[in-house]
Amino acid sequence: MTHHFIKPGQRPVLATTIHTTHENNAPGSGLLASTHWNAERLVSVGLIGIIPAAFCIQHPAMDYALAASLVIHGHWGIEQVVTDYVHGETLPKVANAALFAFSALTFAGLSYFNYNDVGLTKAVLMLWSSST
Amino acid sequence: MALISTRSIGQLLQSQGRFFPAQVVRLAQTASAPQQENEQRLKKFSVYRWNPEKPGDKPCMQTYDVDLNSCGPMVLDALVKIKNEMDPTLTFRRSCREGICGSCAMNINGTNTLACISRIDTSQNKATKIYPLPHMYVIKDLVPDMNNFYAQYKSIQPYLQRKEEIKYGEQQFLQSIEDRDKLDGLYECILCACCSTSCPSYWWNGDKYLGPAVLMQAYRWMIDSRDELQAERLSQLQDKFSVYRCHTIMNCTRTCPKGLNPGKAIAEIKKLLSSSKKTAAAASA
Repeated sequence: MTHHFIKPGQRPVLATTIHTTHENNAPGSGLLASTHWNAERLVSVGLIGIIPAAFCIQHPAMDYALAASLVIHGHWGIEQVVTDYVHGETLPKVANAALFAFSALTFAGLSYFNYNDVGLTKAVLMLWSSST
Repeated sequence: MALISTRSIGQLLQSQGRFFPAQVVRLAQTASAPQQENEQRLKKFSVYRWNPEKPGDKPCMQTYDVDLNSCGPMVLDALVKIKNEMDPTLTFRRSCREGICGSCAMNINGTNTLACISRIDTSQNKATKIYPLPHMYVIKDLVPDMNNFYAQYKSIQPYLQRKEEIKYGEQQFLQSIEDRDKLDGLYECILCACCSTSCPSYWWNGDKYLGPAVLMQAYRWMIDSRDELQAERLSQLQDKFSVYRCHTIMNCTRTCPKGLNPGKAIAEIKKLLSSSKKTAAAASA
C-alpha cells in the first residue's frame, strides 16, 4: 500500500486494521459452502412435500423422515444464527457443539417416540381430534 | 420600503434595469414563499459530532438552525452552509455535489443516502438528523473509515483478467451488444457504501462478510464476457462468510441512492455458486 499524502516516517492512523475476507477464512475441511447451501434449500423445499405426505401416507418410515428433516432444518437454521451472532475464537465452537448436542438429543427423542409410541404424525392428529 | 431594503442590490438593479415595477418582480420571485420575505425559514439540523483530537470527547448531536430561504435545496447545501457560515469545524466528505462520486454518503433521517441528491425536508417542526454511515468506525464527525470497505473491494480483484498473457495495445477485447447489456445495473455503482452499511449482516460480520456493494462488483466481473476467471472468482467466495452471510434482508436494494439492486446480484452469485461444484473444486485444488 502506498500513501503518497503522508510524510515519510509517519504512519497513517487508521481506526481499523485492514483485513480482507478470503484470506481470513480459508476453506476448511468438510462441505463446500455452496454444497451446504444447496442442502439447506433442498431440505426446506423438501419439507413442503414431506409434511403433508407424512399425514397422508401414515407410515412409520414417514414419521422418521419427518423427524429427521425437521431436526436438520432447525439445526441448520440455528447454525446460521450462531454464525451471525456468536463471535470470537472459542465461543462459536462451544455454541455449535451445544447446538449439535441439542439437535442430536431432539432427533433421538423423536425417534424414541416413533419407535415406542404412536409416532409423530399420529400424535399430532390425536392432538387435533382431542380438542373437539 | 422595508421590503425593498431587505432585497439584495443585485436584484434591485436587475428589476429596475428591465423597467419592471419593483413590486411585480418581487411577487414573481417569491411566489413559493408568499408574505415571508422578511422572515427566515429556519430549519433545525441535528448533526452527529465527534472530535478525535479532544481527549475523552464523547460523540454528541449538535443542532444548527439553517435559513432555508438562503440555502440550496439539498442536505449537502445545508451542510456546506453550516460549515461556511456557522461552524467551520464541522467535518464531512463531499466532492461532486451531483450524486456521481459517492463521497457524501451519510445517514439522513434514518436512511443511508447521498447528501447531495437528498432534498431537505422543508417541514420546520422536525429536525433533520444526520449521522455518519451506520456501524462504521468514525474518523471525525460524519467521516467514516472506509479502509476495510476498500480492502474488501480490492480482494475481489475488480479488473479484467484473462488466462493467456495480454499484449497491451495490440487488440481490443470485443463484446456483443447482448453481453454488454448484462453489465447494465452493475457498472453504475459508485461505491458509496450506502448499501453495505445498511445491511445488518455487514454490521455484525463486516470483517468477514464482503457486503452488498463489493459482492455486486464481484458479480459484475464474474459475468463480464471478456473476463476468463469466473471459476476462480467463485471459488474465492466458497466459505460461509464472504457471500452466505446475506440473508436477503434487502436493505441494500431499498437504500441504494443510484437505484441499483445489489440484493439480486448476490442472489445471482449464489445461483452461480450452487451450480459450480466442479469448477470450484478444480480452482481450489
